Amino acid sequence: MVGNRKPIPSEADITRLTGHSFPGGFYTVAHWENFLLTECTGAALLPEGLVHPVALFHIPIIGAGTSIAEMFALGQAESDLSIMIESYDWEIFVALREEIRYAINGSITGAKRCRNEQGNLYDRIQFCFELHTPDDGLAARVTITWHYTRNML
Amino acid sequence: MKLAVGNNIPEWEMASVSPERMRTMAAILRDPNPLHWDRDAVDALPLGLGKRTINQGPLGLSYIINMLQAWGGPDCLRRIVMRFPQVVLDGERVVARGEISVLREEQGVWLADCSIRLEHDDRGVLLEGTATIVLPENAILID
Repeated sequence: MVGNRKPIPSEADITRLTGHSFPGGFYTVAHWENFLLTECTGAALLPEGLVHPVALFHIPIIGAGTSIAEMFALGQAESDLSIMIESYDWEIFVALREEIRYAINGSITGAKRCRNEQGNLYDRIQFCFELHTPDDGLAARVTITWHYTRNML
Repeated sequence: MKLAVGNNIPEWEMASVSPERMRTMAAILRDPNPLHWDRDAVDALPLGLGKRTINQGPLGLSYIINMLQAWGGPDCLRRIVMRFPQVVLDGERVVARGEISVLREEQGVWLADCSIRLEHDDRGVLLEGTATIVLPENAILID
């Protein structure tokens, strides 16, 4: 069911999120996870242990030591249903593979209060995560931009 | 493979977006949002979507990746930037489409910048964005 709506945070509460860093950590994609994930996309498993790039949504989040739920909570989302996606920007420098232990860090790189064309208030929060290979090469960079809508549902 | 700016990428079809796959995806993503697994929660929204679950954004994006990989190879993707103007609902038939916008060389590697989208027959463009892929070695560029 729809969660309880929370009060609108102050603008200062939102803007001070910029610079917030997640703990960081590691993530290894197991074969079973890649298999199930790829099946969800409707594609055949990729060859030679390649991980389907759709994994670039959850690997950075979990690997950086956070969660979708915590990201919702940081922006004081009114409910799980109030988040709208502005964009996902996934840069891949080295194709991801199963059973490789990626080091992941992440932070909030932007947070500001906005109004849309209809005058509705929302908070635009941008998260950036980087994945590094075991030899410290940059494998991927992921930028997630969400809108935390207020009083729209 | 002969390529030129303006060429269409062979389309990729998801014949019916599956609510069961959304549930599996929600578990893998640890995504608590009930829009992806609770039809009643979607029906309760003032959006007129009815009792249909909403596909995860990354899943809609994955259909476009599937199109790009079927065309350019399994490790062709270098960058994808996606916006989400409309939701994708369970049971819908959606088609990933795209075309080449730019062909360019960078550090000895040939790349194609592509305009990409996910379309529904009645509702039009659901997702849209850009992607950069590495061209296969057998690609022949045409002016």
